[in-house]
Amino acid sequence: MTEPQILLEGFLQALAAGLLVGAIYGLMCVGLAMIFGIMRVINFAQGDFMMLGMYVAFFILVGLGVNNLFGATIGPYVAILLAAPVLLLFGYLIHRLLISRVTGARTAGLEGEGHYAQLILTLGIALVLQNGSQVLFGSQLVSIRTPLSSAAWEIGPFWGDFVSVFINKGRGLAALFSVLAILGLWLVITRSRLGRSLRAAADNPEASTYMGIDVDRAYRTAFAIGTCITALAGGLLATNYPFHPFVGLEFVIIMYAGVVLGGMGSILGAFWGGMTIGLVQQLSTLVLPTQLQNTAIFVCFLLIVILRPQGFFGRVVERT
Amino acid sequence: MATLRSLTPLFVLALLYLGVSLLVQNSYYQLMLTLVLVWACFGLSWNVLSGMTGLISFGHASFFGLGAYTTVLLANQFNVSPWLSLPLATLIGAAAGLIIGLPTFRLRGHYFALSMLAYPLAMLYVFEWLGYQEVTLPLKRENAWAYMQFDDHRAYVMIALVMLLVMALLTRWVERTRFGMALIAIKQNEAAAEAAGIDTLRWKLRAIALSGAMAGATGSFYAVVLLVVTPASVFGMLVSAQALTVTMFGGVGTVWGPIIGAAFLIPVGEILHAEFGARFPGIQGVIFGMAIIVVILLAPEGVFWRVRDWLRVRHWWRARPGGASPPASAPAAAHAEPTHANVVSFARLRPVSDEAILEVRHLSKSFGGLKAVHDVSFKVRRGMLLGIIGPNGAGKTTLFNLLNGFLTPDRGEVLLRGVDMGGKAPHVLCQAGVGRTFQIMRPFRRMSVADNVKVGAYVRAGSEAEAERLAAEAIARVGLSAIADRPASGLTTKELRLMELARALAGQPEMLLLDETLAGLGRQEVEEVLDTIRGIADEGVTIVIIEHTMHAMVKLVDEFVVLDHGAVLVEGRPDAVTRDPKVIGAYLGKKWSAHAQR
Amino acid sequence: MLNVENLRAGYSSVPVLHDVSIEVGAGEFVSIVGPNGAGKTTLFKTLSGTVPAMSGSIRFDGHDLLAVPPHRRPHLGIAHVPEGRQVFPSLSVLENLEMGAYTEAGRRSWKENLKRIYSWLPVLAERAAQPAGTLSGGEQQMVAIGRGLASAPKLLMLDEPSMGLAPTVADFIFDRLMDIRRDAGLTILLVEQRVAEALQFADHGYVLETGRVVLAGDSRKLSADDRVRQAYLGM
Repeated sequence: MTEPQILLEGFLQALAAGLLVGAIYGLMCVGLAMIFGIMRVINFAQGDFMMLGMYVAFFILVGLGVNNLFGATIGPYVAILLAAPVLLLFGYLIHRLLISRVTGARTAGLEGEGHYAQLILTLGIALVLQNGSQVLFGSQLVSIRTPLSSAAWEIGPFWGDFVSVFINKGRGLAALFSVLAILGLWLVITRSRLGRSLRAAADNPEASTYMGIDVDRAYRTAFAIGTCITALAGGLLATNYPFHPFVGLEFVIIMYAGVVLGGMGSILGAFWGGMTIGLVQQLSTLVLPTQLQNTAIFVCFLLIVILRPQGFFGRVVERT
Repeated sequence: MATLRSLTPLFVLALLYLGVSLLVQNSYYQLMLTLVLVWACFGLSWNVLSGMTGLISFGHASFFGLGAYTTVLLANQFNVSPWLSLPLATLIGAAAGLIIGLPTFRLRGHYFALSMLAYPLAMLYVFEWLGYQEVTLPLKRENAWAYMQFDDHRAYVMIALVMLLVMALLTRWVERTRFGMALIAIKQNEAAAEAAGIDTLRWKLRAIALSGAMAGATGSFYAVVLLVVTPASVFGMLVSAQALTVTMFGGVGTVWGPIIGAAFLIPVGEILHAEFGARFPGIQGVIFGMAIIVVILLAPEGVFWRVRDWLRVRHWWRARPGGASPPASAPAAAHAEPTHANVVSFARLRPVSDEAILEVRHLSKSFGGLKAVHDVSFKVRRGMLLGIIGPNGAGKTTLFNLLNGFLTPDRGEVLLRGVDMGGKAPHVLCQAGVGRTFQIMRPFRRMSVADNVKVGAYVRAGSEAEAERLAAEAIARVGLSAIADRPASGLTTKELRLMELARALAGQPEMLLLDETLAGLGRQEVEEVLDTIRGIADEGVTIVIIEHTMHAMVKLVDEFVVLDHGAVLVEGRPDAVTRDPKVIGAYLGKKWSAHAQR
Repeated sequence: MLNVENLRAGYSSVPVLHDVSIEVGAGEFVSIVGPNGAGKTTLFKTLSGTVPAMSGSIRFDGHDLLAVPPHRRPHLGIAHVPEGRQVFPSLSVLENLEMGAYTEAGRRSWKENLKRIYSWLPVLAERAAQPAGTLSGGEQQMVAIGRGLASAPKLLMLDEPSMGLAPTVADFIFDRLMDIRRDAGLTILLVEQRVAEALQFADHGYVLETGRVVLAGDSRKLSADDRVRQAYLGM
């Protein structure tokens, strides 16, 4: 292979990896956007909800025998799907029992102090989930293996006999499921009565009350859906990514970066935001050492927040 | 003296702690005693920035980690003693604070907290990449004390105790001076702080520099105590969370908060870890997390404030029958109580010069397509009392914000004594002699009336004493001397309005901008506040007041500027304005003037 | 239909309304006028439940309204068109109207309601797909009114529909309201600063000043009363 061929192949490979991982990040971000975008609640535990999604899927797979029932190829995806309603319920309860005490229609107009409480409360929840999982599950790495993760499709060669792109089948499938999940959610949000009530509650809680919408219930629903979506993304990620109880920390900033990049409150924007983060992360490896992948994301995040807080896809400026 | 007395409990506790630590022989407990102090120091550092300004930092590990790595790397590579590197780490912490603060203070609320989290995490990976996964402090056999290495671990407790005392004193000093006043003002209401003449960005930068310095020193000492530094142990999110946890638990915005929090949480965590850590690794984090959750739900501002508020209420109830006698400020109270009760309603003979102190020329401001203020011109002559009125949505608030610097005009000029001030920052206007009040009152609740007013005095005062004098004078001018020592949280709406007025007066303005000062007051209260405003005007202060209720205004002002649809409708004396068909039309509808004349 | 008695209400223990009593009969058009800060908006918010009542009673169509949670009140047939319009800015005009039809009654008669709303306010049909936040003030007011009508209400409460609008636009909106009232036979409760327009078409009027009803009665008599002018201008 010649020098330009090597460079091109490296670039295409990173691009493909970025798109695939970006799709999953996009799904994570959409989950967070449901919570951060609609209710303006900073949820520090979002990464840990994702971690919980991974473990629940893992235990459904191994513990409930889904693996034996559906086989090693389909089993993991069934388990991930089954984990979703568990996390939906979990999110609902967390909001009902804890978050609703410091947020909701009551504190929507409250500046400063209301947010303060939310930030700290979710930090507490994050600590309990991370360390509680360590107590319960131990800190060794686990993963939701599927044989697809060690198989790949080859696209190409594009340049004579060289320059091909290899797409990991597990990742490709995960990305496909992510996109499908987002399309489904998008339909719910734009077409259904429930979805419209959520958007109305996000736009203007007071006017929503005048329409007869129970805003507190809308918030609870949005929180549950957001939890479930992020957990789903976690499960899909786990087919290719070994995890541990503290895995959420690595992703919580990625999620916020994506949501802010996409413009607060925009569901599709959050998806493109997550996609951009995936691309930045993977393409940065072409010029930076791999250990600095995450540093690149954080720097990118800081630049975005400081220079363009309304995001690239948002219409509303909301920095203060 | 008062300052010294308030520090007594701190010194007594420090001595007790020292006594206990001298008795402890077990080196594990000695380490625990040291760590309590270290985390209390770190909490104090967080408190100076986040507790006082209300800007929550999730990234204090940046400063802590930089301090720790400064010390281990210098010792490891250049054989520098921690005695030297600790001060250096302090400086690096301060510098890092400035570098991080400068861009990040453009953000507020959620965005500020999130971006602060990004800094230490970015650094964490950089240090890993640099190959500093695990750096140890080299052990010294000879002259160990010169490298801050002691066989007797009680020495560490002593050093930590000194550090904590220094930081506590620093915090106290900040609290007592204009530094702390500025920060608290920023926390309560950044806009009001700007309007009181506080350059908010500068004070925030000072706060983060001091906070970073404290955290850098703490991190440096932590490295000395633990001997090993890894990126996760000093830059990790748990480190940042620790600062916040101890402070939130103990109490935000007070020197006692981090101390109480650390004294309780660190031993509990350590003991849990020691007892159950092997069987249940992570149990410490679970307990910490639960502590945070419980505290935020039950005592959102921390244990200290909960207990203090509770004690205060009890104390107050007990003191009540005896009559709360306000000490201090007695001389001010002597010439208090303004005597304007029998001022004639209007047509006063107030000396109004022809000199225009403020001139507005062709001022315009649009939001999107909406022309909120369109080509507005008028003059305010020195010594006059001008009312700006108009129906809802007429553009009064926009005009007001253009005058006081919260909005920048699209076109036109705001000439203050002939100099264009359009778009100048609020604190610059305040320094130029323009004071203002706010429609929505945001008092600094826990501070006394006197301290609330003092915040407004710093713009003129050179010293604490002068600030106190100016504040006392202003309080006397509005007739609040009798309650100067009461916390603002217990005041009535009228008293709060008067306190706001006093705060604006304390900066000795030539001109006052009053924003709906009469809103929410009963009839009798309105009269009392009107008297006070007239008194201030009679002393030669020019006043521009915005109101939508006409009643009170017709008896107060010399002239009106009536706005409608963003433009000046009519100017003139009250009696003429209230009979003007155009004004009647604007307020009651065009058709009213038509049939009223029938 | 609506009966308010001795209502006291306000924010965090400071009452804004003192002892307000108001009655609206079925099919009536009642205007509440008064200067800024008189408590008109607070009264509406108390009726809708976003401001808590301290004492007194509100009865609507046989229900004790204070016992009904705020979000259930629209389902009883109360449409509140709030001050400052408060459209859902990121939702399209049509979606805004759909949100109005969130009530059971609104959903049942959605098709014919939409047709009628479009016939009264044709501009909404032209802008149906546009995000409501990008419309002009007058158009947003029409969206807010249309949204209220879409709930198929028994009582339409309008809070200062003319606020911040140019006089010709405000006139247009008042004319449309009269059409709507004539065609639909709605009961309307209107809060307005501009007294003349508000009383012109109303059956009854109330003048509110600093949280109290200071004048009440036949709207024609009120429009001839100079005390109304004094309530506004002080002298």
